[in-house]
Amino acid sequence: MSVVNYGTREITCKIVYYGPGRSGKTTNLQHVYSQLPEERKGKMVSLATETDRTLFFDFLPLDLGTISGFATRFQLYTVPGQVYYAATRKLVLQGVDGVVFVADSQARQMAENIESLQDLHANLADEGLDPRTIPLVMQYNKRDLPAGELSTLEELDETLNFRGVPHYAATAVNGGGVFETLRSIASLVLSRLSAPAARES
Amino acid sequence: MAKEPQKNEEEDGGEFADFLADVSQEIAQRVESLDPRPKSEAAAEPRKTPAAGEERKKTPAAADAGLIAEWPNIVDRLIEEMR
Repeated sequence: MSVVNYGTREITCKIVYYGPGRSGKTTNLQHVYSQLPEERKGKMVSLATETDRTLFFDFLPLDLGTISGFATRFQLYTVPGQVYYAATRKLVLQGVDGVVFVADSQARQMAENIESLQDLHANLADEGLDPRTIPLVMQYNKRDLPAGELSTLEELDETLNFRGVPHYAATAVNGGGVFETLRSIASLVLSRLSAPAARES
Repeated sequence: MAKEPQKNEEEDGGEFADFLADVSQEIAQRVESLDPRPKSEAAAEPRKTPAAGEERKKTPAAADAGLIAEWPNIVDRLIEEMR
């Protein structure tokens, strides 16, 4: 996927929200969607089961309008967290420019967080992307749950954030930390416009 | 870096606007320095205004046509995967 195209004067960024099942990926996108002004609200595509688990993925196109002469679009995707949708996750990761890893802060979910992170790394490698360098932000979600049920931010960071990337505590269900996370990954992705690896289609 | 999240209900409406402002600033800082065209060339490029009576060129097809075109393909592949 092209990040910046001087020919058509377009900037397009694909950001994927990755993480274990029920960690709050879809909730992140729903909050972003809820905050869009009416004139910018396109369609958020969600394919969910009857129990609201993401079946395939969610897709939210963010048309930011023309910025510095460039038509600028962010495409936000989530992947289905359940382990048996591995093929779908790989498909959604194609052409990704940046990843938000949404971890579930509950202590009993730590193993699922680790498994999902390993799955992310394997799928990025399969796509020919370097898991050590791709723009990545960690979000530690569900901080509104009782403290006794949660891993501390330090524990989460020590276990999951070995790259030392930006990390944010969040309560996506009421919007806390959602835009901070999005702003951070957007900045990381855009900062790569200046890198030699910035791709043009 | 991670702090416990805070949510100010009054700021709800401004979240997207703040995000847009940040992204705009980021892009503005970068695209100018990255433009592969020489600055003098870019600056000197005249704007063509059709003369009176001259037929105006039609606006090209929507720039996001490619994005939309991809969508059915992805859905097809997903359906294929579920079979």
